[in-house]
Amino acid sequence: MTAYLQAEGLDHHFGGLHALQDCTFDIEPGRITCLVGPNGAGKTTIFNAITGFLRPDEGHVTFRGRSLDGLRPQAIVHAGIARSFQNLRLFTELTALDNVMVALPRQFAEEPLGAIFRPLHAARSQRPRRDDAMQALHHVGLADRARDTVRNLSYGEQKLLTVARLLATGAELLLLDEPASGLSAGALDAVMALLRRLQSEGKTLLVVEHNTRVVQQIADEVLFLHQGHLIARGPPAQIIADPALAEIYFGGAL
Amino acid sequence: MDFLLSYLALASIYVMLGLSTNLLVGIVGIFSVSQAAVFGVGAYIVGHFLMAAAPMPFLAALAIAMLCCITLNILVTLPSLRVSGDYFVVTSFGIQLLATAVFTNWTAGTGGASGMPGIPPPDLFGYQLQSTWQLMALCMAGMLLACLCFWLVMRAPFGRLLRAIREDERAVAAAGKSVLRAKVSAAALAGAFAGLAGGIYATFLSFIDPSSFDLDASILLLTMVVVGGARTLAGSIAGPFLLLALPQILTLLDIPTTFAATARQLIYGLLLIAFMLFRPQGLLGERL
Repeated sequence: MTAYLQAEGLDHHFGGLHALQDCTFDIEPGRITCLVGPNGAGKTTIFNAITGFLRPDEGHVTFRGRSLDGLRPQAIVHAGIARSFQNLRLFTELTALDNVMVALPRQFAEEPLGAIFRPLHAARSQRPRRDDAMQALHHVGLADRARDTVRNLSYGEQKLLTVARLLATGAELLLLDEPASGLSAGALDAVMALLRRLQSEGKTLLVVEHNTRVVQQIADEVLFLHQGHLIARGPPAQIIADPALAEIYFGGAL
Repeated sequence: MDFLLSYLALASIYVMLGLSTNLLVGIVGIFSVSQAAVFGVGAYIVGHFLMAAAPMPFLAALAIAMLCCITLNILVTLPSLRVSGDYFVVTSFGIQLLATAVFTNWTAGTGGASGMPGIPPPDLFGYQLQSTWQLMALCMAGMLLACLCFWLVMRAPFGRLLRAIREDERAVAAAGKSVLRAKVSAAALAGAFAGLAGGIYATFLSFIDPSSFDLDASILLLTMVVVGGARTLAGSIAGPFLLLALPQILTLLDIPTTFAATARQLIYGLLLIAFMLFRPQGLLGERL
């Protein structure tokens, strides 16, 4: 049986930096997997390699038995994998609703000919899509901020909006880069509850996270990365309790 | 009266060019300084086919010109996918200089520096447009058509996609959209506007020469977008109408004609600096 998502022997250099070294792991469907490790361990590089933003020097990624090698980022979204960014990358001058609507797949008049020659159809076909986008906003608790430009949203709301944008793509595997960093305690709980809810609705999540409390509460499995190589995997309690891993993670401060 | 009519006609033509420039520079963020070159290609092609031994109907010549300008504009904006931002300005600058060199030196095709005189007035389905009124109406119709297209496109999902691309291309790719396809589509539309403007311009003036399609003309287009206002339909209309009124106002003043041309360039330059410093969003636009 083939794995849901399988990364095999990923290897990549940035100049003299060996960012990924023979990195191999797989993910099971329907679970929340947390990717942890010290700064520079290669967590975001793995996201980039899976989602087509980076072509690794070596190695392969397969998703549901299908090779993703050499696919462009948009093709990987169509294959069912969507990712968020650590620095959010929202469209700050657009409204929250428009940020979500950009990500809806297969829209009519996403090119000029349809917009010019079938304007009525273009307008009509947008109405149900707007409802889809509103539903995604409602899902993350931002329905009442739909008309606000992103600039006017709080940092916590902006983070939730990135999740709404991922949901709009319709992808089943969501890669979240530090969804909980920089949040207040209240916002943190809201994000964790949201991730749990997404899981219960059938999404699979791969999450880069630094906060061990968050990892402990949401992760079904933890992948521990060090110097671009997977050195341990297991349930969160086991990984966090491992003194050797703690030594690596905190640089010997403990 | 003719004076006012030709002002309205010219301003209408420049609105189409303003839309072309605004689409690329203001909305997608491709800083093109070679829109006048594409404009020129449209004008020369229509001039060529209307003056051929067996003249072509105006609309057919215009359609060919627009198709050529669509292709050309896609080709000249493609480097923007490889070289970004500041570097593309230099590339685009080179394209403009190259076009001017061709317009000036390809005597057989363009008439060279002495230009292409005697382009006949346009015909519509066999009916010859003759009076300034009729020509003005044609220019206005072209402008309204371009404005309608711009408006429809910008309110459609395509417009939203372009705005998103200007902000963050990586995020657009992560949302599952092809940045390349959207940019090529925008370049095609901008090329169609420039070709339409060029074709109408050639028949309206009946004489074209390289000076209308040089770097100064491209910079004038940018000035119109900056003063009128980037990224909005209203801005693309206001800019040309205001800036083209300026030379007319200068001719009303009692100053020598040799000085008037210099004064115009001087005022354009000052306007550009002043708007960038004090009102970067232009009169009716959004902040660049």
